[in-house]
Amino acid sequence: MSVALSPVLSGRNQVIGAFRWLRGRLIANTMRSVLLGSRLRISMIIACCTVFWTGLFFLFFGGFQFLAIYLSLTNIVVEYLFSMFFLSLLVMLFFSTGIIVYAGLFHSKEAAYLLTTPASADRIFAYKFAEAIAFSSWGFLLLGSPLMAAYGISVGTSAWFYAMFLLYLLGFVLIPGSLGAIVAVLVASLLPRRQKTVLTSLGLILLGVTIYLGARVWTSPGQLFTQDWLDSMLGRLSFSQNTLLPSRWMSAGLVAAAKGEWYESTYQFLLLSAHGGIAYLVAAFTAGKLYRLGYSRVQAGRSSRRRIGWYAIDDAFHKVFFFLAKPIRILILKDLRTFRRDPAQWSQFLIFFGLLAFYFLNIRRLSYDVQSPYWRNLVSFLNLGVTALILSTFTSRFIFPLLSLEGRNFWVLGLLPIRREQILWGKFAFASGISLVATEALILMSDIMLRMELGMVALHMCMVAVLCFGLSGISVGLGARLPNLKEEDPSKIATGFGGTLNLLVSLVFIISIVTSLAVPCHLYYGGQDNLNFGYGAGILNEQQFKFWLTVATVGSLMIGVIGTILPLRIGIKAFQRMEF
Amino acid sequence: MIELRDVTKAFGSKKAVDHLDLQVRAGELYAFLGPNGAGKTTTIKMVCGLLAPTSGSVLVGGYPSGSAEARQLLAYVPDQPYLYEKLTGREFLRFVVEMYGLEPAHATRKIKEYIDTFEMNDYIDELCETYSHGMKQRVVFASALVHEPKILIVDEPLVGLDPRSARIVKDLFLAQARSGVAVLMSTHLLSIAEELADTIGIVNHGRMLAHGTLAELRTKLQSDASLEDLFLALTGGDRPNLVGRNATSRVETVQ
Repeated sequence: MSVALSPVLSGRNQVIGAFRWLRGRLIANTMRSVLLGSRLRISMIIACCTVFWTGLFFLFFGGFQFLAIYLSLTNIVVEYLFSMFFLSLLVMLFFSTGIIVYAGLFHSKEAAYLLTTPASADRIFAYKFAEAIAFSSWGFLLLGSPLMAAYGISVGTSAWFYAMFLLYLLGFVLIPGSLGAIVAVLVASLLPRRQKTVLTSLGLILLGVTIYLGARVWTSPGQLFTQDWLDSMLGRLSFSQNTLLPSRWMSAGLVAAAKGEWYESTYQFLLLSAHGGIAYLVAAFTAGKLYRLGYSRVQAGRSSRRRIGWYAIDDAFHKVFFFLAKPIRILILKDLRTFRRDPAQWSQFLIFFGLLAFYFLNIRRLSYDVQSPYWRNLVSFLNLGVTALILSTFTSRFIFPLLSLEGRNFWVLGLLPIRREQILWGKFAFASGISLVATEALILMSDIMLRMELGMVALHMCMVAVLCFGLSGISVGLGARLPNLKEEDPSKIATGFGGTLNLLVSLVFIISIVTSLAVPCHLYYGGQDNLNFGYGAGILNEQQFKFWLTVATVGSLMIGVIGTILPLRIGIKAFQRMEF
Repeated sequence: MIELRDVTKAFGSKKAVDHLDLQVRAGELYAFLGPNGAGKTTTIKMVCGLLAPTSGSVLVGGYPSGSAEARQLLAYVPDQPYLYEKLTGREFLRFVVEMYGLEPAHATRKIKEYIDTFEMNDYIDELCETYSHGMKQRVVFASALVHEPKILIVDEPLVGLDPRSARIVKDLFLAQARSGVAVLMSTHLLSIAEELADTIGIVNHGRMLAHGTLAELRTKLQSDASLEDLFLALTGGDRPNLVGRNATSRVETVQ
């Protein structure tokens, strides 16, 4: 029979103090190492954020000036606009914070460590929740601040408005963040083996509601930008004005603050922050009661789950791609299986390319297909550019780290009876194959919806193929040349020096290919428009256009070949020399 | 100090731990042995409060495992320990002593003592992300001992340690046990168990097959064999069959 010891329990304040000290040190050390070690990355991030922020600011500012045309309705439209904006953010923050909290509390090594320390469940929750809120809401600040700055300047409000915005922001993010965290803890505790089903179901419901609401707004009756159209569209968005929605409190309060109506603004702020506080308390209470139980259940639920081999697909793959060397086929199949079993990869791929497909399918709804050839040509190249840019984020995030991750398992691959360069060719074939399928389909869809001529469709499809091969070559080649064999997390590999350089080179490659072909087309179709509107001749006539287009095509093909082969050669050389 | 009574842990239909009884007293060094998948880590996680038992009770220092009192008493070194990559070793140790509420002057002395014991002066002020596996293991052991636990639980303690560090760790385990700390150590290295343990428990398929001192195990099994042979006899067959078959076929091929 054991006798109970009497431990001196760590005080609550000691634990809070320890966490505060830990957070301070982690931030300070991270900042120091980032400033000392990753200047390129920091410069890139600052430059991109500045360009993004400035672009958004001018977009919003232009929008508010445009709204001023509807003088009598400006305030109403702005409230609707803000309500919809904050409602969208509410939903996004709910999902993002919930997912981050779930991963941080139930699947991290840190959580396993902290649960064995004297820290209570609600303290660990508070620590991880603050981290999740910071991670999920920095984007909110990046999106929301140019909107508020543009609005503030356009209505000439006082500096207090901006201070109020930051306070509102704090109160607002607590509500969706806490709700997301409550759902995360409840799912872990009550449905520990069903987390993916819950997430997929919620995602599908959200998608359904978004499509329904989007379709209703798109189909608002009346001519675009007329009073009737505006009235009917606002009527269809009236759900966003429901007084029970935090997004409505946020928008009403901010509009009131901008107008100097401080009583109304303070009331809305107190409403928002009180609900934010209550939501957090409920979340902390739930975590205090259920976190340990949930952790145990999630760990117990991670028992061996047999995976479907899909061996019939493997056989079919071997038959279809018989012309590839067998080791390469085997390596591609291995990567395909990893891709299929990693939701982070296929879900990101699906979301980005799915959104693009959704937009391309709506091109005719936007009446782009009946615009002048100049306009259609411009949109088609913009679509091409966007598709390539999204592809480059995919190759930088998932293809570039492949070799670094493979390096950790090199004892497996290194002992196989294959040449090292075949490993790289396998990665290249995998990356370009998966990219080709997605992007060719998208560009074909875009061009069909824009009613482009057959010649231009063929040109765009060839261009996309060149871009796919080039971006895959760059990511595989640089991934082999600048590997990070110490890191296990692919996202950290992608955001390191090599990953950032890879993204930069990819951007330069895309700009070179797209602009070299877009410029002659732009000059020719622009000239056609001038002729149609009686403004005189264009810059390029048909003869000149054909000549310059041929030059540009040959030039892009050369850039494409160099962009594909050169990084691959560099990568193969480095990979052959590499010691593991 | 540690007491498991009729503990079962099921993962779905599979029982990882099956009606297990185990007791580790103060000052005892208990080696927990078993083949892969025998339920050792699951048992240890239940003692640490990371997993809740499906049935039965787990008491740590007389308190239910996972309770605030139980956590205050124990230190756990898992087989894959966690360190904050962006803290230095010294900062990590400081975080631990703050978390356990050690008086500052005493905490500073203890930190210095363990930095010296584990010979970490050369790198303790560098970020943990730069450490090798062995260096990380030393910091983790120091962090486990620096807050003076009454119960020490270690899963595969010597993985990644060089012979010198391994010697330090083994001596420390013995010193801890002799000072009254209950040490529960899971390991695959039978020689370590033979060398250090006061009590040996052999588990397979979640069930305790035998426990006692090495002499008691020999008496129980009526054999003077080594711990390795006792272990193999208890956990299924004297020699793994596959090795024998493979070796035989190779020999035949050569002939």
